Amino acid sequence: MKRRVLFAFGWLGVIVLLSGCVSSRIEESRTANTGIQSHEALVILGRASYNDRQTEVSFTDCIANALGSGSTPIRMIPGDEFKDSLYPWFEPRTAPTSADDLALLFAQPGVQERIEESQVRYLAWIEGDTVTVDQGGSMSCTITSFGGGCFGMSYWEEDASYEASIWDLQNLTSAGEISADANGTSYLAGVIVPIPVLARPGNAACKALASQLKDFLVGTQASAGPDIERAR
Amino acid sequence: MKAKALVILLLALLGGCTTTVIVEGTVPTPLVAKIPLEVGVHFPEDFKSFQHEEVIEHTGTFKFSLGEQNLTFFRNLMAAMFDRVVEVGEPPLARAEAAGLDGVIVPEILKYGFLTPGISGLNFYSASIHYRITLYGANGDKVADWTLVGYGKAEGGAFGRGDALSEATLLAIRDAGARIAIEFPNQPGVDVWIKRRNIAGNSGGDQIEPVPSPVEG
Repeated sequence: MKRRVLFAFGWLGVIVLLSGCVSSRIEESRTANTGIQSHEALVILGRASYNDRQTEVSFTDCIANALGSGSTPIRMIPGDEFKDSLYPWFEPRTAPTSADDLALLFAQPGVQERIEESQVRYLAWIEGDTVTVDQGGSMSCTITSFGGGCFGMSYWEEDASYEASIWDLQNLTSAGEISADANGTSYLAGVIVPIPVLARPGNAACKALASQLKDFLVGTQASAGPDIERAR
Repeated sequence: MKAKALVILLLALLGGCTTTVIVEGTVPTPLVAKIPLEVGVHFPEDFKSFQHEEVIEHTGTFKFSLGEQNLTFFRNLMAAMFDRVVEVGEPPLARAEAAGLDGVIVPEILKYGFLTPGISGLNFYSASIHYRITLYGANGDKVADWTLVGYGKAEGGAFGRGDALSEATLLAIRDAGARIAIEFPNQPGVDVWIKRRNIAGNSGGDQIEPVPSPVEG
């Protein structure tokens, strides 16, 4: 019994050392100059498709919250409000798939007026998801008349991969793309009570993407050279 | 007394295995150019009070009630798509009821289906609704017949089972509505009907021959 407890504590020490170890990577590709004024707004929309994967609502909400707060908040229009006001043009099967389709969309009666009315300058499409790529270990919990407890360890590795495509609704062009990848392993250690050590790569990808998106929109010049690439 | 309590407990447990889904929520008014025609719309009783019940082994019974939501949405949709819309009886219409109308539209629900994460193995609930939209000309002949499917899916994490299925069903209605608003005017038979009725309207014409629909062979 004593040996098992020591073993479990040993593992816990390793886990604590590894906790919060999420590696993330950001890549940016700019195709146009950007800049946003205080009255102009941004809309974040998740790409929904009818296959087995889709961008989580919690992720687009996380991005929108991060961009709409802080020292230099951007005016955000909620995605649902934007889609409702332009129904049926931004539904999963009717939404424009590339910025080249924007001119055609703006030719539809009332569309341009609605967008100008709401002063939406940029639209960011978020595509991607968080998936579990590996998992293992084992943990067992028992309850007896003398008490109970959990022993062992399990882990799971998650990979969060997202891309934001930014469209300029004033110039009807694509302004660029930003991609964020984060990877991390979470642990659940059983030392009498189960102790979770969560890596949350989805949250890391959200923060990294939101930060880069804010820098991207708040005003920089188009890069003359190759795409900007940064690893964090 | 004990037996009675046991029966009540058993019924309560069985009742817990039934998920009743009442589709609630709003679908916005479509932002589309109005077709400059006057149409009658006939909503069949099956459409107005559509219900679906399905028993899934080891999961329970699912009961869906989506007629009211469909009816509200289609009334809104038709009013947004055409210059003037009146609700009429089942075609063919009597001469008096058909007066002034360019055609009659009849929406129907052919089939409803849903998937839970337990069935699909995916992380979300999904729903599909098969609709048929039939267009009759001013003289009662069938002009076009279009079958389409609306899909919707909702994440299960934030909702209970019933709420997630309600959300997925509402999104399926919304998806079908988007397709009808955008694609209906371009359907084979409908496009020619719109063109001919507009010409007839502009030249003061009255009764015209219906355009044969490709689906009629």
